[in-house]
Amino acid sequence: MTFLSGQPPMVRNLTLLLLAGLFLLPTVVTSPSMLQIIILIIFYAYLTSSWNFVGGFAGVLPLGHSAFVGIGAYTSTLLYLTWGVSPWIGMLVGGLLASLVGLIIGLPTLKLRGAYFALATIAVGEGLRVLVENVEKVGPFEVRGPKGLLINLVEDAPLSAFQFQSKVPYYYIILVMLLAVLYLTHRMMNSKVGYYLAAGGEEPEAAEALGIKVSRYKLIAMAISCFLTAIGGSFYAQMFLYIYPKSIMGLELSYEIAFIALIGGRGTILGPVIGALLLRPVSDLTRIYLSSALPGLHLVIFGLVLIVVMRYQPKGLIVPLRHLFNRHIIPFLSRKNGKSDPVAPQKSE
Amino acid sequence: MLGFIESLLNGILMGSIYGLTAVGLTLIFGVMKVINFAHGSILMVGMYAAYWCVKLTGMNPYLTLLIVVPFLFCFGYALQRYVIKPIFDAEKDVREPITVIIVTTGIWYVLDNLAMIFFGAEYRVVQTSVTGKMIEFHEMYFSVAKLIGGGITLLCGVYLFWFLKHSRTGKAIRATSLDREAATLMGVNQSQIYNIAFGLGSACCGVAACVLIPFYYVYPTVGVPFDIKAFVIVVLGGLGSIPGAILGGIIIGIIETVGAQFMAATWTELLVYGFFLLVLFVKPSGLFGLRQDY
Repeated sequence: MTFLSGQPPMVRNLTLLLLAGLFLLPTVVTSPSMLQIIILIIFYAYLTSSWNFVGGFAGVLPLGHSAFVGIGAYTSTLLYLTWGVSPWIGMLVGGLLASLVGLIIGLPTLKLRGAYFALATIAVGEGLRVLVENVEKVGPFEVRGPKGLLINLVEDAPLSAFQFQSKVPYYYIILVMLLAVLYLTHRMMNSKVGYYLAAGGEEPEAAEALGIKVSRYKLIAMAISCFLTAIGGSFYAQMFLYIYPKSIMGLELSYEIAFIALIGGRGTILGPVIGALLLRPVSDLTRIYLSSALPGLHLVIFGLVLIVVMRYQPKGLIVPLRHLFNRHIIPFLSRKNGKSDPVAPQKSE
Repeated sequence: MLGFIESLLNGILMGSIYGLTAVGLTLIFGVMKVINFAHGSILMVGMYAAYWCVKLTGMNPYLTLLIVVPFLFCFGYALQRYVIKPIFDAEKDVREPITVIIVTTGIWYVLDNLAMIFFGAEYRVVQTSVTGKMIEFHEMYFSVAKLIGGGITLLCGVYLFWFLKHSRTGKAIRATSLDREAATLMGVNQSQIYNIAFGLGSACCGVAACVLIPFYYVYPTVGVPFDIKAFVIVVLGGLGSIPGAILGGIIIGIIETVGAQFMAATWTELLVYGFFLLVLFVKPSGLFGLRQDY
């Protein structure tokens, strides 16, 4: 927690307060459907933060991340259904598999213009969906094509089965996962790899000239990102206990992840979280109340918000929000506490 | 053997339609260095326009070319002028204008889902004078609509190639895609060229949309498979190359139809993606790509 001690006291206190609030949340929010919405917000923030490693820091645009969500979900579920392997272990296997696939895509494309990488990720994402939809059985594994996989609910399941009757355990698991990935992002940003990536993302030629193997570090970022995304996929499978290719491997999910990151602010620690906080409720509410009358309205809203944000705040909504926080909220709170020393930190992260 | 030749020729016909949409994409890329992710959606707009023209007035589907192509030119022109240009200007000196790519995906989403809201998700087919008509040639059967469509798109591709080679505007477009600064110094109005290139790229979609209408259904996300195929084709042909896009389109068309002889149609889709990744590994510059462009 060294990154907390580096912050001004007001920011530190606010962060600790927020964390405490998050951990106590299930005691206040008891309705399972409400908790489910919150879990999904955190889940999307997690996926987007994982995307951020390659989409935000490596300066390329991955548009097929649902492929890795799918790899994670299918690996852990198939291992569990076929051999009874605990999903906790299947999660890691899926993560490693996704990293491998990510490296295979990244190897030829990360050296090229970013457009090639974006196109290749779309092709892999869609290709994998088509593949899974067409496969009924591979070796011992029953993939069941477009019908998807159902995990049976076991009564009094042991912890190793990764399934719970209540939503609360899922909430804590995904919250810890999100905090871990945010901490990892923070560590990476302030590490050698992070600096190399920042240099390579802005000026690849200049960075290469300084002896940085830009594409190697991009590959590292890609592997980390795919690993984390796949773990998220396993979580999704265990949370809903039912997966099918369209739900977790479509272009739609890939785009939603990318859009959340871009609107929130890619390449920042909190951008994905802010994006998920702002956009998930929009998508849930329009889906619940308007989807029968106006199907696809939430996606029109997403698209329009994206265009407007890119026009006026190309670095994402985190920029004006950070400004608001640093210039108005912090001084306001400090004044209230009667402190004469107005803290205006350079970075709120 | 006859069946093979039949599917080969059918592949060439369908492939030339894919090729023309890809020509539009590659033209826009060549000039702006931006992959237009909304390309398939522009095709979708064109298909709905052609569909309603035929449906409401009962006109010959090929006459709609006269309405839909100019309409899509203006649509593309306006899209570039009013939505993309302000964002493009902000980062035109960047090697990789990634914000613009993002904005085009936003446009894709807005257009596709607006179509969903206005027209509903159903698949629409229109009955025209050529729908379902077949022509027999040495015991091989060809759809009349595909023959006419393939012919029209090939002609348009060749015309566009000639236009870029010899007309004044075409030369300005090529000059801009080679070197923006030098072209500006020669008195080429850059942003005007971008608008025209975007308009022309959209007009290519318009031609493809009109010839597709007699034998293809229209639905809000009809652009997506064409879009993805167009991406594959432009990489295969070499980003920015027009002959490459036409040839790439024909190759993809052949892979699809000939592949369908040996496997289920859904697997051919996979074949196309696999082929795409293979090209990326083996020859990322594509068949006709320039070294500087990848």
